[in-house]
Amino acid sequence: MKIESGNGRAYKIVSIIILVILAFLFTFPLYWIVTGAFKNGADINATKPIWVPTEWVMNNFDKLMKQRTVPLWEVYLPFGSFFNGGKKILLTAGPEAPGAIRWLINAVLMSVLAMLFTCLTAAMAGYALAKKRFNGRTLLFSLIVCAMALPKQVILIPLLKEMSALHLYDSLWAVIFPTVGWPFGVFLMKQFSESIPGEILEAARIDGSSEWNTFSTVVMPMIKPGIGALAIFTFINCWNDYFMQLVMLASGSNFTIPLGVATLQAETSVDNGLLMAGATLAAAPIIIVFLIFQKYFTQGITMGAVKG
Amino acid sequence: MKKLLAMVLAMTMVMALVACGGNKDSTTPAQDTPPAENNAPEAPETPAAGGELTLWTYPIGNWGQEDKVKAITDAFTADTGISVKVEYLAYADGDDKVNSAITAKSAPDLIMEGPERLVTNWGDKGYLVDLSDMFDDTDKSEINAAAMTACTHSNGEVYEYPLVVTAHCMAVNLDAFKEAGADQYLDMATRTWSTDDFIKAVDALYAHFNSPVGAVFCKGQGGDQGTRALVNNMYGGTFTNAAHDQYTWDDPLNVKALEQLKSMPGITFDASLEGGDEIKVFYQGILKMAFCWNIAQQLNPNLADTGAGLTASGEEIAFMAFPSESGAPQLCGGIWGFGIFDNGDQARIDNAKTFIKWMCDSEHTVDAVKTANYFAARSSAEGTDLSAIWADNDIMNDYQVLMPYLGDYYQVTKGWAGARTEWWTMLQKVGEGANIAETVATYAGNANAAAG
Amino acid sequence: MAKQSHPTMSRALQKRENITGYLFMLPSLIFFIGFVVIPMIICIITSLTDANMHDQGMFGNFVGLSNFTKLTKDVDFLEALKNTFIIVVVSVPTVCAFSLWVSSAIYKLSGPVLSAFRCIFYLPVVTGSVAVTVVWKWMYDNYTGIFNHVLKGAGLIEQNINWLGDSKYALWCIILILFTTSVGQPIVLYVSALGNVDQTLIEAAEVDGATSFQVFWKVKWAQMMPTTLYILVITTINSFQCFALIQLLTKGGAGTNTVMYDIYWTAFKLTEQAGHFGYANAMGVVLAIFIGLLSALQFKLAKEK
Repeated sequence: MKIESGNGRAYKIVSIIILVILAFLFTFPLYWIVTGAFKNGADINATKPIWVPTEWVMNNFDKLMKQRTVPLWEVYLPFGSFFNGGKKILLTAGPEAPGAIRWLINAVLMSVLAMLFTCLTAAMAGYALAKKRFNGRTLLFSLIVCAMALPKQVILIPLLKEMSALHLYDSLWAVIFPTVGWPFGVFLMKQFSESIPGEILEAARIDGSSEWNTFSTVVMPMIKPGIGALAIFTFINCWNDYFMQLVMLASGSNFTIPLGVATLQAETSVDNGLLMAGATLAAAPIIIVFLIFQKYFTQGITMGAVKG
Repeated sequence: MKKLLAMVLAMTMVMALVACGGNKDSTTPAQDTPPAENNAPEAPETPAAGGELTLWTYPIGNWGQEDKVKAITDAFTADTGISVKVEYLAYADGDDKVNSAITAKSAPDLIMEGPERLVTNWGDKGYLVDLSDMFDDTDKSEINAAAMTACTHSNGEVYEYPLVVTAHCMAVNLDAFKEAGADQYLDMATRTWSTDDFIKAVDALYAHFNSPVGAVFCKGQGGDQGTRALVNNMYGGTFTNAAHDQYTWDDPLNVKALEQLKSMPGITFDASLEGGDEIKVFYQGILKMAFCWNIAQQLNPNLADTGAGLTASGEEIAFMAFPSESGAPQLCGGIWGFGIFDNGDQARIDNAKTFIKWMCDSEHTVDAVKTANYFAARSSAEGTDLSAIWADNDIMNDYQVLMPYLGDYYQVTKGWAGARTEWWTMLQKVGEGANIAETVATYAGNANAAAG
Repeated sequence: MAKQSHPTMSRALQKRENITGYLFMLPSLIFFIGFVVIPMIICIITSLTDANMHDQGMFGNFVGLSNFTKLTKDVDFLEALKNTFIIVVVSVPTVCAFSLWVSSAIYKLSGPVLSAFRCIFYLPVVTGSVAVTVVWKWMYDNYTGIFNHVLKGAGLIEQNINWLGDSKYALWCIILILFTTSVGQPIVLYVSALGNVDQTLIEAAEVDGATSFQVFWKVKWAQMMPTTLYILVITTINSFQCFALIQLLTKGGAGTNTVMYDIYWTAFKLTEQAGHFGYANAMGVVLAIFIGLLSALQFKLAKEK
């Protein structure tokens, strides 16, 4: 990191060169996935790397779409079975569809729901932890800090049994709820809320604004960038949480696209073309989400984490 | 941000509403399985003979392919009014899935696999229903005796109704063998070869291609019957004793085989492959032989869609027995059939039994067997002769030559699942150059200790 | 910061703060307690029992600390613990250092270029661990992999290296993948943080004759401490995503077993050891303690600065 002024220029040039090389290395996996998805059988199975497909084919996507057939849309009402004589309540619509499409819908639905729940609950809790002097606050906060980095594998078995008891096993909710419960979001939101000047809250109180109004009209706009950051973080984390999906989802109609792709990988004979097509489908939505929210994300980080 | 959030929220709500709306007219608060499962008008409110079943199947031939399985389960549903929801397991994580489902008290009604899982594991632990009342004397006379024994637990209960059997073998890339002049070592009539010829063939191939031609794969348990059969057959070692209560793979003959394999430059011990990976590399033409092979692979078109029995570049694949000194190899058998999980609901158990009866012992058995691409586990079913169902298939006919070499089905030895783990871990250590005799003794000892 | 001082908060006011505070906490607490705290408590209790999947009911018989004493003799577990330690200890600092270097090299670049670099380093994160695993598996392949092809082509190696099958390399291969999927976020963070460093402080330091190294260490680094703390936490969390890599690439073989994977293996793999929930939960407790200590250490280090 030491930059002597004389060597500054040379250092800069060298570092740019290294960066460009690194940039190629970081882009390569994605390039390989996407091109692989369009390669024909001969290219895929070639013993030497084929850098550019000799012909572009949709063959792999066709195969992917033929893997499974499941209802296009189906939402399981959580806890519904407790009010329905033990039977699950499923909201089903749409025709039969290729599994991959349904997996995509499932993954998006799961990640979006987890994101919404997390942002809302974490924003409220973070605000309370930062600005409300209630008893037990310090204890709660230490608990949250301790649990924050805990990997979910630790509580794998109790969680599975709990989901089974709540009739949530093999439904997306079994992945969503623990994600929402993970206290990292609360921690992040607390850091953001710390920076809200107390005077503003005081002023709102004096104006006779109710607690909820203060939160929704004063606090929310101020921590907006933080919520953006948390939203994208939660979406990506939930999408990538292969472990929870693997353990909690059993039937092909409840798979998510990452889990579906992983299952394809586990089949007896490995079809790389099919896998790449699946991987492309699994990567596309999340990259799009990232590109859309990118601005908020970087903004949010700038304002929040830095001020900590 | 707010706008975007609001938009996302609104979209979710609209989607949910559409979902509810779409459901309103058909609101039969659904049961465990989704309604409208079959786009065909599902048997109108099917009260009488109806019901539903869940079947989880491993990829046993084409029983892992949805279009093939759907054809046969649809026929079953049309016949009996019982709908079947099928889930497809992979060998890589299927066991974990079943175990987590058992833990979550959501095990399927039916499961399709072999005695090594159904009898030694889930049956042994008491999760499966005893099927012995499904076998009368006719059944017992029709079903392959070895298969019947394997499906029966030592406590006398039967946990699997066998459907198909096969012998696992190995495969060679015939064109590569010819190119290297190694085809002289293959006896294509009996499909057998001696251990010496195998060694010479590998050396010839290695001399010609200058890279490993066969892989002792050991990433996991997938396809491990291949590595077991290879090591056991070379010098006539055994894996377990005849009573199936002890692992005997620390047999000096096996140590000799492993030392031989380790010393051959043409053979690599590869901990990055398991059975499925090995087949892929074999298809690509890199490895010239595959140890994880059977008739379903021989019949299956390969990944590049070049046709049955051909590699990705169109070279000919020939199936072979494992090399042996005696000339009489002992091949590992596969016996696949159905087991029923005891979920405490007699009606579902009865339905499951109806399913098994329909698939394994009726005029439909032909289709069920053909779906699997293996041989029937019985000579005839309810008057339908099953011995000649593959008469029109040359490859299947050729394959018959291997069936007499079917060896002892030792996969029902106590502690089997643990022993498999010890086996491939041991191969990894051997591959890394550990002392072979000591390593083998250690891991065989572990397997025996775990089997208690 | 911004601590409001209410030395003499009236009873009524305190009560009001309690009620509103907990009402705001409530939705989050329901999920946190329901799906994290309660399972954790159950986990701790069952770790003292012989609970297993074959017995009905949540708890088996109380066996004291015997699960833990067994763990200290379990070779596989000890190796898994060692590997987990290596993964965290290697990947967290390297990710931090690397992203700091990249950020300091790019943060002064013009807008679009900076944006492009940021996106590129973020790509592996958003590609998703499963999709990334698929392609890395192919690149590491013993026979047709790109690594072997390129290294052989360049004459650096003679024999193919079995990257994922050789215990000399496998763990490092996993760490490398983990590394590429971890640096994206820290880079974004550090770029922002570097851009926000108070310029007047730097100038003041330079006037005082500080070397550029001193400026960096005493001024920039100090100001970025909160960011670093945040990065340490998310990188630690991220390194546990290696479960997917291990499950899909090596299945814990070739010296890549970790505690996370060992727990899963002990709980659900079809072996005679499978379903020993008490034992698996004991592993979980050990891992939780390990993580707790690590987090505490990170916080302490961050606070000291």
